[in-house]
Amino acid sequence: MAKPRPVRGIQPSRRLRPNARKILAVRIDEIYQYDGLVGDPRNITELHDMRIAFKRLRYLLEIFGEAFTQDLGPFLDEVKRLQDLLGDIHDCDVQVPMLVAHLAWLEEQESQSVAAMLIRGQRASSPDNSDVALAQFRSRLNAARRADERPGIHTLIAQRRSARIALYEQFTTQWRRLKYERFRHRLETALGIVTS
Amino acid sequence: MAQPWTVNGLTPDAVFRSAAGRIILTRWREMMSYQDGTLAGADIEELHAMRVSSRRLRAAMDAFADAFPPREFRRYLREVKRITDTLGDARDLDVTIAHLDALLVDLTPIDRPGVIGLMSRYQARREIETTHIASLFAQLENDGFSTQFEKWIAKHTGVKVTKLRPAPPEMP
Repeated sequence: MAKPRPVRGIQPSRRLRPNARKILAVRIDEIYQYDGLVGDPRNITELHDMRIAFKRLRYLLEIFGEAFTQDLGPFLDEVKRLQDLLGDIHDCDVQVPMLVAHLAWLEEQESQSVAAMLIRGQRASSPDNSDVALAQFRSRLNAARRADERPGIHTLIAQRRSARIALYEQFTTQWRRLKYERFRHRLETALGIVTS
Repeated sequence: MAQPWTVNGLTPDAVFRSAAGRIILTRWREMMSYQDGTLAGADIEELHAMRVSSRRLRAAMDAFADAFPPREFRRYLREVKRITDTLGDARDLDVTIAHLDALLVDLTPIDRPGVIGLMSRYQARREIETTHIASLFAQLENDGFSTQFEKWIAKHTGVKVTKLRPAPPEMP
């Protein structure tokens, strides 16, 4: 996770508003440093870092909102929308590897169960009738195997991958819209960081 | 999501240091108000509310870091981060289990065993997280962390929690 950039010149004995402006200016800038990087859906780390940058800004707008006369609610809604979208993308990016790891875990469990079953089978006496013995072996093997759990996990993986594509498309649409609507300039004007 | 408590006495022309004390102490009390419900475990929304409050608290501490001596600040922030992370691990599992549970209805019979198996694995992990939460709070209690933290905030901001009387939001 990208660490927040330090903010210079904070004076704790002065009023909240001028200090808040300094902090918010840096945090807004942090979001826009990812602008060129999030155009590629494969940049998982940058998308995650941008989500964290949005989250920091969102909390700061909530915390410092009291110090500003202008209603920051509409800006907060936009920031939250983008943060949520990036959060959903991140969930997909985390869940797919977890599900793949779960498949590997199932395989490991299965091989352990089958190995244990074979050892038990060697110790136990087998029926004289080879058909009965084979049927018993198959029954125990099926009980030890966890193959029936795999299709559902593959389905979940496919769902998450498909959702990720759709979410990323939504994110880029929203991000382009914010830039088109000069969101940064409007927010910085509302906060008194820049004059219109 | 639980609404944040109103920060009493916070005005637009507040001094940075004093605002730090008011906001951090309010968020601290807000977070701790969910402790009993979280430990009881009967309603997963109590843990959710506590986690959200802990994130608000952490964000407030980050925002007002300059009002405190850096070394001590890092120590207290580390403890708050530990609370957030511990609650977060449990919350993530709650959300995932609920999400998988909701999916079950629409899944084909072929897909169900896998999702049910995954849910039971997550439920086992969730039970472990419950013990982590209980031991974390027991340790905070033994260390007298709450009193230490409130005194430390008061020392550096001039805001005492007894004077602040943070109030939960009014019920509709």
